[in-house]
Amino acid sequence: MTTDTASTRRDFLKGGALLAAPLAAVAAPAVILAEDELKVRLARLENVAAIRELHQSWLRRINTRTDDPAGTAAAAARMFADAKRAAFDEGVRSIAADHAGEPDAIEIAADGKSAAGRFPCAVEIDTAIAQDCTLAQMAYQQGGGFVRRTERRVLKVEYVKASGAWAIAKIEFA
Amino acid sequence: MPGTPYPKEQMHRIAYTKLSEQQIASKLSKVSGPTSASPLADAFAGKSIRIVTDNGPALAYTFSRNNRLSVAENGGGAVEAGYGALTLGSVAFVSHMIPGTQRGYAVVIDQGTNLATVFELWFSGYQDNREVQREIYYGYVEQPGQEAPKGRHVTTNRVEGKGFYWKQDNGAETLEFYPSAAYSNFVELSRFGGELGFCAPSDYIKINDDFYIYTRTECEFSGTFTAYVMDLNRVEQIGVRLGFDADDALEYYVFRGKGEWLGQLAQFEKFGDEKGSPVPAGPVPAAGAPAAAPAAPAKGARRVYRPLRTMAKMSKAEVDAACAKRTSAFAPRGISPGANAPAASMAGNLGPNTGWLAGKSLTLRYDTAPAMEYRFDDAETLHWRKEGDSEWVKARYQAFESMPGVILFGHLLEGAPNHDGHSIVADFHQGLVTCFNGYLNTPYFANEAGVKIHFGVIEMEGLIPPKYNRHYFTDEMIGRAVSQNYAPGLTSMHLYTTPHSLSWIIFTDSDAGGLEWSGPASYVKIRDGLYFMYWLEEACNGTLGTILVNLHTMRDVGIGYNCGENGLNMNALGAHERLAGRFDVMRFYQVKTSGGVA
Repeated sequence: MTTDTASTRRDFLKGGALLAAPLAAVAAPAVILAEDELKVRLARLENVAAIRELHQSWLRRINTRTDDPAGTAAAAARMFADAKRAAFDEGVRSIAADHAGEPDAIEIAADGKSAAGRFPCAVEIDTAIAQDCTLAQMAYQQGGGFVRRTERRVLKVEYVKASGAWAIAKIEFA
Repeated sequence: MPGTPYPKEQMHRIAYTKLSEQQIASKLSKVSGPTSASPLADAFAGKSIRIVTDNGPALAYTFSRNNRLSVAENGGGAVEAGYGALTLGSVAFVSHMIPGTQRGYAVVIDQGTNLATVFELWFSGYQDNREVQREIYYGYVEQPGQEAPKGRHVTTNRVEGKGFYWKQDNGAETLEFYPSAAYSNFVELSRFGGELGFCAPSDYIKINDDFYIYTRTECEFSGTFTAYVMDLNRVEQIGVRLGFDADDALEYYVFRGKGEWLGQLAQFEKFGDEKGSPVPAGPVPAAGAPAAAPAAPAKGARRVYRPLRTMAKMSKAEVDAACAKRTSAFAPRGISPGANAPAASMAGNLGPNTGWLAGKSLTLRYDTAPAMEYRFDDAETLHWRKEGDSEWVKARYQAFESMPGVILFGHLLEGAPNHDGHSIVADFHQGLVTCFNGYLNTPYFANEAGVKIHFGVIEMEGLIPPKYNRHYFTDEMIGRAVSQNYAPGLTSMHLYTTPHSLSWIIFTDSDAGGLEWSGPASYVKIRDGLYFMYWLEEACNGTLGTILVNLHTMRDVGIGYNCGENGLNMNALGAHERLAGRFDVMRFYQVKTSGGVA
């Protein structure tokens, strides 16, 4: 008789616990150092997560062309440090992550008050056709009248943290 | 004298009465239900049914006879009304009004599946009260003790590209083409003599692979609504017509018809795309406004092309002033400062212009117009004068060699009282010339172009023209459909519907046929596979479009002539083409011998 065996996630966790055991036995200063590092690391991860969430909200706004139920001004005020900089290229119809590009990069400044993001993306851009003839006017009437192209671009974003929340300071294509 | 089949005015020229709500109510009050030339069906007589729709009304019907029913909407009180019903196979078509209102219904029930499509119809829902409005609801006939069916009739593009001849039981004959998934084109053979085709927003709904529902509303015209179920195999129809004719008489009847299949045009959507309603229903955003999420459409909303409402309507004095202010011929490409500016957007696929005429002198001797003498200074400058005149007039022109020896060129005639422009095809191998002579100050709107057609010969050194041979009008293009890609994002299709009209269909982003309109047209054969044609955008921007279609290279080159508030423009255009098929229609345009003059 033969029995099939297979490693399981439980086995993997057991191995991890065994490997972790010696670490628990290190001296106290090292523990304090590790706790500080963990705090810093946690803060960084929280900042990165908050910025990612902000970026997703901005993408949703661009892709769905919808705003906060409270209105465009409220959405701009919520996402941008200066609401006057909330406008973005009206020709951009959609932005999607470019999984064939470099990984997203979010760098938090040492003081934790600003950050920079670089997001490779595939951008659909509409260029309006001049409505200088019946054909173009009819195309516009039915929701067309533009030329659409897709380009691989990099979104370059500057963030600032104020009152504990991240906001977009500047967003543009690199 | 015997009568002719032609109306006093064609549909786009009829000044339909702006009927008031009260006038419409009064006319409706005198009618109990639709009339019918065929016996009404008694499929529902003595029965009660309840139709449930998604996001729409629930309609409880009791049919006492084959022409009387009571209906309760959404559980409300029942009202009695006259109705008409016809059946085609398992499909029934029922129509009635709600007495005392300007509302009614057209209901399609597939008695095999119990699925139903309900059209709520009403007058006085648009600024032109006579235009019938419609909202479509999909649902089913409730079956006691049974679950609601999950399927529904659905909008579809599966009818796109089809065309039929229909003869209704009341004698009305039409050619109806469905080259778009949102619009249709109809030629009224018996009502209007079949000279021109017209277009209307339409719905296409699939019942099953054989049966489809079609509607059209004659917006910009009488506002009449027509809906029918058609069996594509048997080529039979049952339906309803509701509206007010040119004399403001109410037309409300159900009909049965038989027809002939005329052919099938190509579809350009991706394989697998069978979606209907390709044009969004919501309002058109204001030009230049930031793009926004589509708003929820209002009840009955749909995009309707209303060119007469939006075109500039100018007097002769306004035309003269606009032309004096700005006249432009063949502006450099890439310059497009706004509406009614040189139509640079249609020149994206324009081929290079030729300098073959540069340095040459010639006379175009027309049979029915003064001969024109030319001196071509270079590839874009010429001097012209009418034979007998002493002064030469300088003009900017461009010329395009569509086929070896055949040149299209055009120029404006500065100083002509009607601001004429000539679009000319000259065949230097045959010594023949055809001129589409555009002009303004036409009877309906002074800025609307008219056209005269001149046939003739070329006289120049070394060329002996024919004595009798001429280019000639042709019906070889009639029934054909040819798509044109003028530039990225600008693709249309011409459907050459009658010997005297064509329609143009604008493709959507998914390459479905979308909005469609039509105008008077004419077709001249230059050579085998080479046709010179024009269309007039009458009651629609007023443009005269002329194109030389080369079926060998599948390219067209053309010249547009337009006057608007920004002045007079002549511009070149060019497209890559594809043949999209052909309808067998010429037999319907033959004048048949019958009787004598009384």
